[in-house]
Amino acid sequence: MSGIEKDLNPTEQVELAHKAFEQEFERFVRLTDYQVVLTAALTLEEALAQQRALAEVRTRHLGKKSALAAARKLIGKVAADERPAFGQLVQQIEASITSLIEQAERNLAELIELNRTALESIDVTLPGRRPRRGHAHPITLVRERIEDIFVALGYVIEDDREIETDFYNFAALNIPDNHPARGSQDTFYTTDGFALRSQTSTVQIHAMQRRGVPVRMIAPGRVFRRDTPDPTHNPMFYQVEGLCVDRGITMAHLKGTVAEFLRRMFGPDTVTRFRPSYFPFTEPSAEFDFSCFKCKGSGCRICKNSGWIELGGSGMVHPNVLRAVGVDPQIYSGFAFGLGIDRMCALMYGLDDIRLLFENEVRFLKQFS
Amino acid sequence: MLISYQWLRELSATALTPAELRDRLTMVGLAIDAVENKETDSVLDVEVPSNRPDCLSHVGVAREVTVIERTNLRLPVAKSFKTAGNAAELTVVTIDDPQLCPRYAARLIKGVKIGPSPEWLVRRLEVIGQRSINNVADITNYVLHELGQPLHAFDFDKLSGKRIVVRRARAGERLKTLDGFERDLTDDTLVIADAVRPVALAGIMGGEDSEISEQTTDVLIESAYFDANSIRRTARRLGMDTEASRRFERGADRENVINAQQRCVELICELAGGLPTEDVIDVYPGKLQPRSVTLRIARVKDLTSLSVEPKEMDRILTALGFAKQSEGAEELVYIVPSWRNDVEQEEDLIEEIARHTGFEKIASELPPSSSSGEYQPGEMKQRILRRALNSFGFDEAINFSFIPREGTDLLGITAEAQPLLKNPIIEGSAWMRSSLLPGLLSSLRHNFNHGNRDVRLFEIGRIFNAKTAGELPAESLSLALIATGGALEEARVLAERDLDFFDLKGAVETAVELMNLPALKFVRTAAAHLRQGQSASIGLASGREIGSMGRLSDAIGNAYKFRQPVYVLELQLSALLASEETVVHYSPLPRFPSIVRDISLLIDRNTTFEEVVRDIKGREVQALNEVRLVGTYEGANIPATKRSITLRIEYRADERTLRDEEVEETHAQLTSSLLKTFAAEQR
Repeated sequence: MSGIEKDLNPTEQVELAHKAFEQEFERFVRLTDYQVVLTAALTLEEALAQQRALAEVRTRHLGKKSALAAARKLIGKVAADERPAFGQLVQQIEASITSLIEQAERNLAELIELNRTALESIDVTLPGRRPRRGHAHPITLVRERIEDIFVALGYVIEDDREIETDFYNFAALNIPDNHPARGSQDTFYTTDGFALRSQTSTVQIHAMQRRGVPVRMIAPGRVFRRDTPDPTHNPMFYQVEGLCVDRGITMAHLKGTVAEFLRRMFGPDTVTRFRPSYFPFTEPSAEFDFSCFKCKGSGCRICKNSGWIELGGSGMVHPNVLRAVGVDPQIYSGFAFGLGIDRMCALMYGLDDIRLLFENEVRFLKQFS
Repeated sequence: MLISYQWLRELSATALTPAELRDRLTMVGLAIDAVENKETDSVLDVEVPSNRPDCLSHVGVAREVTVIERTNLRLPVAKSFKTAGNAAELTVVTIDDPQLCPRYAARLIKGVKIGPSPEWLVRRLEVIGQRSINNVADITNYVLHELGQPLHAFDFDKLSGKRIVVRRARAGERLKTLDGFERDLTDDTLVIADAVRPVALAGIMGGEDSEISEQTTDVLIESAYFDANSIRRTARRLGMDTEASRRFERGADRENVINAQQRCVELICELAGGLPTEDVIDVYPGKLQPRSVTLRIARVKDLTSLSVEPKEMDRILTALGFAKQSEGAEELVYIVPSWRNDVEQEEDLIEEIARHTGFEKIASELPPSSSSGEYQPGEMKQRILRRALNSFGFDEAINFSFIPREGTDLLGITAEAQPLLKNPIIEGSAWMRSSLLPGLLSSLRHNFNHGNRDVRLFEIGRIFNAKTAGELPAESLSLALIATGGALEEARVLAERDLDFFDLKGAVETAVELMNLPALKFVRTAAAHLRQGQSASIGLASGREIGSMGRLSDAIGNAYKFRQPVYVLELQLSALLASEETVVHYSPLPRFPSIVRDISLLIDRNTTFEEVVRDIKGREVQALNEVRLVGTYEGANIPATKRSITLRIEYRADERTLRDEEVEETHAQLTSSLLKTFAAEQR
């Protein structure tokens, strides 16, 4: 700064410098009030320009070469007794200038930050970045859940052939020679005369032959029956059959096991009901229903207003079945049960056309986890 | 089976309402879905189990009701009627095949007046869905629904020779049945014939020629017992399902034959007049031998856990018609009633006792724990595989096991390789698949047809391979993948690129890694169904080839009308699952820094990445630690026969920090030898 007026005394010099600052700072004064700054609606560019200008003002008025700095050096020319007062004056002015500039700087910086964050803000509701994921088939989801429950109950999971001999598919299961199920109306046969298994009970026979008794097992798997596809039928579906053979097994164990399974599958409030029925491979035989998981028994569309949902068949293993695998029915008894996985899927997911299960359309498949 | 509530009440004097009966009968094994309330009656729709043909009648159901309510059955009271004449003088009945017809009873009624049925009879039949025809036809139908015995009324004057012959049809014989269809008969068909020709399909339907008409005056009432299998075979063959056949197929009561006929004759006399013969012609070559079954009292509890007093057991069985033959401290012996063909052994009696004691009274408890649970071998690995493929965008598909020839021909699968079904249900789908690809290809087409162009599917399933005739086909587990369209991101519409070979390969590689199995080997190969130059064989670490993958050939793509590249993979999952798990062994972390150098080689485009890496590793270059791919480039500025491949080579020593100069020297040497070996240029 050049502005040291030779003919002015030091105090006047200081005041002159102050005045010069005030004059120049006039255009920044509004920046010292934050509310004013906010309403000034400066763009980011304008704010940055102001920031630069302000930095220059700071250098000009507080820097080493400023008029104030020069005036401060004149203290030697001040009478000794006035020096403290002079010193004080200089400090005061310096502090006032600093405070004003800093205030303006702070407000500007804040405004700039505000501008910047506004520009850099993101829409957090946009979808996360991830490759399209695929989905497990609903049959898989239900089958795995059933397996998990029975493994926890101490059962082994078994499976075996899908193309079977007459012995495993019928004879060992006490299905007589003239039974309609054996007819080519109901069961698929290969040209070699083998049957596509019509129930996974075949696996019970294999498992008892392999493992002997006692045995606790379930057999989930694919089975085949000659039904024309329609909304409630497919010529191929999935089933799970369970078997428990040991000394002293009674129908109470059958009821307890099925009820426990259904509670774990459909919730702790699920009630199971057993009704007498007929199957060639069990005696006594029972069908089981469970209280509707949707309406809890009060009646709805899913349970056809009965409060009960029919789910599967069961019973005490027929002595002829035990004999077929060399187990003495006087020593051992057992229970067996079976239910449809596809049917469970239809119930759980509200499917009204089970043909969709095997059409593999991605718009269908992606609805499942 | 439709049951009239009012009729049931006459036979059982039940105090239960229709709704109560629905619940109670359901709980003894006669499931009732619906009760339909009509003006003066209610109808119960009873689902009769296949082993209980005795319940295909009002008396049969009423018997169950009386056991439930501890009351007595009220069978219709016999009424007397006038008779005249000796049947044997008027007609003759001959059974040629007693195997198929163990009993046949005929009775003649003369001077019957055919006319409409009285109002009560019309209404009673109407309630259970039966149409009224005339008084005689209605009465036979009424007795069928009351007592379960199918009956037939012939116009006696229309029977040539005035006689009945029960025989197999002769080849070439035909019969026009009451429904108006001309039926071709085979020597497997049991017919009722007169002296000349068949007049009825035994146990199924009468013939039109001998049908009762308004002119009929003399009626022959047939009441018989036919072999169940014979009736079932004929009914199936002719596609017929009648009230009569339904009962004979499941087994009628041969001891009920005379009783039902008597009931029918009595009603005809009452409602249509006429004079029956004094006697019945009852030809009964197949007399039923009564069966006795022993029940050990303790077995009831052993099998059901129910505590039932022997007195109560006896009450139930007696009410159901079982006759006690003998009684001991530990066992009871019963004669099985003639209408219960299903009861053969002790367990059957236990079931009778259990269902009438109430299944709901059986406790519910888990069996004592004695074993530990166990998944199938490989199940956990399959779960990992499924989830890994899911996370790579593959949806799980499930296709039918039987497939048409379409697709398999194109894939080069011969007809003989796949087991063939004798009786497919879906037209053409007669082959048991030996590959999962045909199924996935049609699933893909199905998706294209529904506008889904970006599709990734996998399937895990059983495949079948025919062996020599008479031997069970081989079954094994297969895995197949199919992918086409864009590499879409979740919830975003535009794909940054199209899926290709390496998406499929990468998905399987990661899955195999997650399954903790050794990495698969991919070798360029040629396969008929894959596009030349974009196909690889897939091998296990042991070198055993287990599958192939690549871009679907244009020939197959065109046949399916696919208009975009499709990538497929199939491998023998059974073999993969059987391979040994990778053993993880920790390596100490390096103590000294490494130095990396990149190298870009312009090489023949048929030289593979693996060849170059193998070459480098084979040179035992000093301190060379790892070779990795940076990228490849082909296209603009590069001759069509070449491609550029950039590798990053990492040098590191275990015991000291390498100096730049020594790496520089080693790398320069490596570079020049690679250039020479592969006739490459440096880029």
